[in-house]
Amino acid sequence: MRNLLNFLIKYSTWFVFAFYVLISCILLVNTSKTHLSVYLSSANAIGGTIYRTSSEITDYFGLLAVNKRLQESNARLENEVLNLRNQLKQYDVLASDSSDYGRYRRFGYIGASVINNSTSHPLNYFTIDRGSTDGIEPGMGVVDQSGVVGIVDVTGKRTSRVISLLNQNQHFSAKIKSTPYVGSLTWKGSDPRVAYLEEVPRHAKYHIGDTITTSGFSTTFPEGIDIGTVMGNIKTNDDTFIVLKIRLMPDFKQLGTVRIINDILKNELDSISGS
Amino acid sequence: MNKSVFIFAILFVALVLVQALILNHIVLFNCAMCFVFIYFIVSLPLDVKPNLLLTLSFLLGLTVDMLSDTPGLNALSCTVLGALKRPVFFAYEQHDDQKRDISPATATMGFLNFAKYLFTMSALYCIVCFFTEYMNFADVIDILIRIGASTVFTYIVILALDSLIGKK
Repeated sequence: MRNLLNFLIKYSTWFVFAFYVLISCILLVNTSKTHLSVYLSSANAIGGTIYRTSSEITDYFGLLAVNKRLQESNARLENEVLNLRNQLKQYDVLASDSSDYGRYRRFGYIGASVINNSTSHPLNYFTIDRGSTDGIEPGMGVVDQSGVVGIVDVTGKRTSRVISLLNQNQHFSAKIKSTPYVGSLTWKGSDPRVAYLEEVPRHAKYHIGDTITTSGFSTTFPEGIDIGTVMGNIKTNDDTFIVLKIRLMPDFKQLGTVRIINDILKNELDSISGS
Repeated sequence: MNKSVFIFAILFVALVLVQALILNHIVLFNCAMCFVFIYFIVSLPLDVKPNLLLTLSFLLGLTVDMLSDTPGLNALSCTVLGALKRPVFFAYEQHDDQKRDISPATATMGFLNFAKYLFTMSALYCIVCFFTEYMNFADVIDILIRIGASTVFTYIVILALDSLIGKK
C-alpha cells in the first residue's frame, strides 16, 4: 500500500497530465448535445454576460452600416407587402371560406442581436442575446436580412449558441429557386463567402446567377428564404449528381441583427413524422 | 509571493478577455491567428510546482474554449504546452540556482534567449492546436501555412507585450 502511494506521488505529474489530456480529448470528440455542453459553450452565464456587455459598447460603431442594410431590406419588404396585398385582394373570396387560411401564420419571428461570432474555424458558431426565456429552442432556424445564417444549437437562459452555416458538420436542405431540384448545402472551410450545393440531380437546369433558397422540407426554415447564388459547377466523378458552387448572400463577418424562426406547427409535424 | 499571485490572477483574466473579445476576431490573410493568452504559461515563474502549472494551463485553455466555442481544443494545447515549458526553457538556459524562481522575460533571460524560448513555445502551441483542429478537414500544406503564419503573429504580439509589461 505504501509502495503504491509512493508510486502515485512520485509520478503524480504524469497522472495529472494524462488526466487533463483525457478530459480535453473527451470534450473534443464529444459533439453530442449533452447537458454539460450548455456550460461549456459561449451561451453560459459568464460568457453571455461578457459578450453582451462588450457588444453593448461596440454595437454603436456598426450602426451606420446596419441602418443602411435595414433600410434596403425595409424597402424591399414594403414592395413585397404591396404586391402581396394586391394578390390577396384577388383571392379574398376564396380565402374567407378556406380552412387553409391559418397556414399563412405558421411561422413566427423573434429578433436578436449577434454578440459573438467566428468565421475562421472549420466548425463555426455564433452567440445571440436571446435564450430559453425568450422562447428560443434548439433546432430553430436563424436568418438575417439577406438570408439563412444558421440553426440554434444550445440555449442558455438569456443567450443561445447558433451553429453557423459556416460549419462543416451542418448540412442545409436547399433548392434552385422556382425549380424542384433539391440538394444539400455544405460549407467546406476557408472562404466564408462560398459554399457548395451537393447531390443536385444531373439533369437539373440552372444558370449562373440563379438564386438558391431553402427547400421547406424541414420545420427549421420556411420555403423560399434566400441562401446564395450559383457561381458555377464543380467537376465530379459522380454520374447521377452534380455539385454547384454557391456564393452566400449574408456577410458572415458582419452579422448584426438576426431573426429566429419559430415554426408553430413544429411539434405537430415532428410527432407525425416520428410516429 | 502574494503580490505575484495577485498579478498573475489579473494577467489570466486580462489575457482571456483580450483573446475572446479582440484577437478571436482578427484573422490576418485568412490564416494567421494570435494566441496571446499563452503568455500566461510562458511567463509563469519556474518555481511553480509541475502539478499546479498543468492545472493552471488546463484551466486557461478551458476558459478560452468556453468563450470561443472550441471545446477541448485550447485546453488540450495549453496542457501540452504547460508540460513542455520546463524542457523548452532549459533547452536555452543553463540549470542555475540563481535562476530557479525567475519568471521568463526579456529582462530575466536576455533578449536572444527569451526570443528563442518564446518562438519555440509559440510554434509548439500552434502545431498542437492546428493539427488537432484541422486533422479531418484540410490538407497538410494548408495546415502548415496556418501554423507558420499564426506562430509568427503570436510571437510578435507576445514579444511586444513582454517589452511593455515584462519585468524582473
